[in-house]
Amino acid sequence: MKKTWWIGILAALAFSFGMAQQANLKACFIYVGPIGDVGWTFAHDEARRAAEKAIPGLTTQYVESVKPADTLATVDRLVAGGCNVIFTTSFDFMDPTLEAAKKYPEVIFAHASGFKRAPNMLTYMADFYQIYYLNGLMAGALTKSGKVGYVAAFPIPELKRHISAFALGVRAVNPRATVNVKWINAWFDPVKAREAAEALMAEGNDILAFTEDTATVVQTAARRKVPSFSHYNSMYKYAPDYVVSGQLVDWSVIYIDILKKVQNGTYTPKNLQNVDYWWLAREKAVMLGAQVGMPINPKFEPALKQATMVVNGKRVSVYDRVMELYKDIQSPNPKWDPFTGPIRDRNGVLRVPAGRKMTVKELNEMQWVAPGVVGPVPDEPK
Amino acid sequence: MEEVLNALARALSFGTPLLIACLGAILNERAGVVNLGVEGMMALGALAGFAVAYGSGGDGNLWLAVLAAMLAGALAALLHGFVTITLQANQFVSGLALTMVGLGTAGLLGKRFEGLPLFNQPPEWPFTLGAIGLALLLALVFQATHLGLSLRSVGENPAAADLLGIHVLAVRYAAVAAGGALAGLAGAYLSLVYRPSWTDGMTAGLGWIAVALVIFVGWSPIRAVFGAVFFGLLYYLQFRLQGQVAIPSEVFASLPYLLVILVLALSGLRGQQGNAPEALGKPYRRGER
Repeated sequence: MKKTWWIGILAALAFSFGMAQQANLKACFIYVGPIGDVGWTFAHDEARRAAEKAIPGLTTQYVESVKPADTLATVDRLVAGGCNVIFTTSFDFMDPTLEAAKKYPEVIFAHASGFKRAPNMLTYMADFYQIYYLNGLMAGALTKSGKVGYVAAFPIPELKRHISAFALGVRAVNPRATVNVKWINAWFDPVKAREAAEALMAEGNDILAFTEDTATVVQTAARRKVPSFSHYNSMYKYAPDYVVSGQLVDWSVIYIDILKKVQNGTYTPKNLQNVDYWWLAREKAVMLGAQVGMPINPKFEPALKQATMVVNGKRVSVYDRVMELYKDIQSPNPKWDPFTGPIRDRNGVLRVPAGRKMTVKELNEMQWVAPGVVGPVPDEPK
Repeated sequence: MEEVLNALARALSFGTPLLIACLGAILNERAGVVNLGVEGMMALGALAGFAVAYGSGGDGNLWLAVLAAMLAGALAALLHGFVTITLQANQFVSGLALTMVGLGTAGLLGKRFEGLPLFNQPPEWPFTLGAIGLALLLALVFQATHLGLSLRSVGENPAAADLLGIHVLAVRYAAVAAGGALAGLAGAYLSLVYRPSWTDGMTAGLGWIAVALVIFVGWSPIRAVFGAVFFGLLYYLQFRLQGQVAIPSEVFASLPYLLVILVLALSGLRGQQGNAPEALGKPYRRGER
């Protein structure tokens, strides 16, 4: 008697659980770093929480610090746990995500920062290249030595694009300045970031920018009273006197858009082959700033207003130029783009003919770097 | 000249946590106990130090933070001590487990401290000088004191030490706890001084380099000073020389590990395990040979 009672309860539980699974959307996230990195993974996780708040019926789960080699095993676990949408948030997850998409044709996959897609796998990116140019303008105005340092993670197209946009900005103000790059070959390694930053300052670089997922470069620069640019999240609080500006991201606009479209049936596991988000300042996926609501640290405003540059034969202050371009790229139809030709690479090869803008595909596959970038650049075409 | 001084300063700054952790490992290994949990103990120390420094806010709490870090390291090490000294389990397995438990626990408990800034940043040099002073002190203790003799005899020949009336287990426990305290201190240096903030994974493998350094310097505290500075210099140079010389920076990055392998190979060729204590890694059972 007792036994049948229990079986009945268990069956009812299993049934209701199964129903809940069907009715609800479960989105799962695979992160490459720890959430506490203050950078990339932190930003993705903030967006995950924002999406959970914004979309009724959505549950989420995440796995942090996943090595690319463990991607497929992690996907297996998540799918078994009932995930119907899986976001993989690192370039290195691209191929394993594609493999997972083939293995689970009913699950929707979304890969950040890559370019390979499938009927059930879309790609998305909140890209900083325009913002990097604006920061480059400020770095060019503020450097006294004409040497700007850059602590860089990996020599992949994303970083080459960002460093090049930054260097184009630096040189637009200060044509003889250089952007000196040190690769640390890690997304997350505060120890390497610290020593790379120290090495750059020892070589005379008096402004630092970086792509690494912690606030280490900002902290290290401030220790030696060197201005720096915040990356990914607000790092203003780490050095309020030395963070000039930076790149800020808001992934939540992308996540909410994707998940709503999955929920209302716009996106299915059959129609994602050509879905690629390439969201910029116009879509409010990225912002310029030392922190949200502060595009430029007021402490540096006087110096940036005093510094001038020539635009179309006219002298304007760097501050005004930054603000003008920032306003433009936030508008519904931006007129300006940093990668508008003619652009030659640092070896003198013409990469973008006059009057033409680089396409998203070209930006995603970019291997060359702009003039002014100094240092070894792996996979650079001659 | 300025370049050389700067490189030396970087080598000392990076070498300080290595040296502190390495001295701790030398201490417990000289007493015959290997503890591969250095990385985990460093992570716990880094978190404990940061949590106390942040939690107590304002100034004048550095000592408290450092004390908390050393305590956290010592407690974790005592766990290793209980498993390996009293229960006589395999020291290598227990140490590896301690690394994982330490990293995991620190990551979990550290969630609420992630990304917080620490404004009261202590200078680096007192730690560096302190670490060098500690190395000298340890060398002196090992060579010229009764305490050092007892410690070394426990690591070389515990049975003989036991016959002489030395309490082998007590000495080993004390050495393991002290080693853990130093690993915790090395972690606190990272989260309070070297990179003042807490992030999961911030020990970045330094604990493992410290373990390798013990072998590289042949269990000598004095040589540990030079070893740590040398490793620090190599680490800095991989970035400083990047793009300046034709040698790829990966060569510099792998040099510390290559050197350790080379030293191990050479000591193997000479038919001895360097200066490794005779009873290293072996649990002591009274009355057994």
